[in-house]
Amino acid sequence: MKNNIIILGGGQAGIYAAREIRQNDSKSNIKIIGEENLLPYERPPLSKDFLLDKKNEEDLYFHSSDVLKNENIEFENVSISKVDFENKKLFADNDDVYSYDSLLISTGSENKKLSLDNNLKNDVYYLRNLEEAKKIKEIVSNKNKITIIGGGFIGLEIASSLSQLQKKVIVIEIGNQLMGRIIPKQIADLVQNTHLEHGNEIILNKQIEKITKKNGIYEILLNDNSLIKTDFLIAGIGSTPAVKLFENTNLKLDNGILTNQFCETSIKDVYAAGDVSNFYHPLYERNMRLESYQHAQNHGICAGKNIAGVKTEYTSIPWMWSDQFNLNLQLTGICNDYDEIIERGNDINSGVIYFFLKNKIIRGACGLGIAGKIGRDIRITSKLSEKNTIVDKQILSDQNQKLNKLIQK
Amino acid sequence: MYLFSKNRYYIQFMSEENWIEVGSTDSIEEEDLIRFDHQDKTFCVYKLTDGFYATDGICTHEAVHLEDGLVMDDEIECPMHQGIFNIKSGEALSPPACEDLKTYPVKVDNDKIFIKID
Repeated sequence: MKNNIIILGGGQAGIYAAREIRQNDSKSNIKIIGEENLLPYERPPLSKDFLLDKKNEEDLYFHSSDVLKNENIEFENVSISKVDFENKKLFADNDDVYSYDSLLISTGSENKKLSLDNNLKNDVYYLRNLEEAKKIKEIVSNKNKITIIGGGFIGLEIASSLSQLQKKVIVIEIGNQLMGRIIPKQIADLVQNTHLEHGNEIILNKQIEKITKKNGIYEILLNDNSLIKTDFLIAGIGSTPAVKLFENTNLKLDNGILTNQFCETSIKDVYAAGDVSNFYHPLYERNMRLESYQHAQNHGICAGKNIAGVKTEYTSIPWMWSDQFNLNLQLTGICNDYDEIIERGNDINSGVIYFFLKNKIIRGACGLGIAGKIGRDIRITSKLSEKNTIVDKQILSDQNQKLNKLIQK
Repeated sequence: MYLFSKNRYYIQFMSEENWIEVGSTDSIEEEDLIRFDHQDKTFCVYKLTDGFYATDGICTHEAVHLEDGLVMDDEIECPMHQGIFNIKSGEALSPPACEDLKTYPVKVDNDKIFIKID
């Protein structure tokens, strides 16, 4: 049967869902509706290789327009202003109406904004999309001292890139460690040391009281009355699921769109995937919302299968990474619910990993090392945690013993 | 005839020379790999249950050495972004990798591994 399938949101989850649907369903119409007038592209390089001129715009696209054409996947750049779930229709700003049989919502997440009570709202820059990355890249070329508000992944990746562009960088973080929402302190401290070694200034435990602008220079007053003068302001203070469009509908929301393990929402024939979805994870027996590259991709693929009628549970183990300077940080599984920590390695050149165990079962791991050095062991941890494996702690802590052998086939 | 023979020997000579010694067969554990650098290129040489295989040593998605990746059955997974390739065919099996990995012929002679680089 030929269906109209609409994918609302032209990011990573959307494009992977579209291609997965096509793999399983050659007949249905598939249309991706995106708010940016760009084919789906990779966001991770925006804060790194794109700022550093190692990648340009053409390198970012997941697939060329030819791939979409060959697979008969339509892409339309339009802004949707209203959804009628009962009649299965989407209404665009330009009065066009789109009917669907199945709808995937993959609208992603939006940056939280600083609450500034003066006229400086347009003076603080955020980085989520290509246009913002282009603006930042252009403006920083003429700036020297740059302050980044927020010591999370995005802020620190920008700090790393700007440092490599010979800028003086200050990072202000409200918490008592960097990346405190998800990264264990042991690893965060190693990352902090690397920033300090490269000349970046890190200010922890400080709140911003006020920002003013005098003669083109910004003055940031902190809650200890210290004053920071800076040429340019970038903020990365977290994100929220992009659900405004659904706030007055029957769609069940709670920190995103609630979905089950099949990416199904509370409304029949409506699915959600990626950052916007607060999904049920059968392995952890609870809901979670993730903002990561791997999740957007795998959740999109899972939604695609389910939309195409291939009933598939989403059981992917959470995994994320951040690249700063020449270091690669990775986290897998659950690292904030444990009763024992085991350390493997003590030198970031060969990699340092902390394993998090509960009731002797390995639940997650977080590691840091020169590009790629910790990847294999982190991946093995994902596989071990998937099977609730009780592992030999001696092997985990000894870097000379390979972890491959712990995987049961 | 002379020219034909000469050419034939020439071709054979070239072809022999392109087999590069990687190391001894016991330098790789089963279902594992070693990195092998030759001139300005990097390769990965694998020992699978049915023999030795070789691929380019850098992921086709981003410039990352595959030597730190996980070998599982006939697959190598990139340690940075988890793209997966079939070691025998080089086929990119799982996103974000979408471009295949180049593979190279491998032979074993007197417990030494050789790969043929073109």
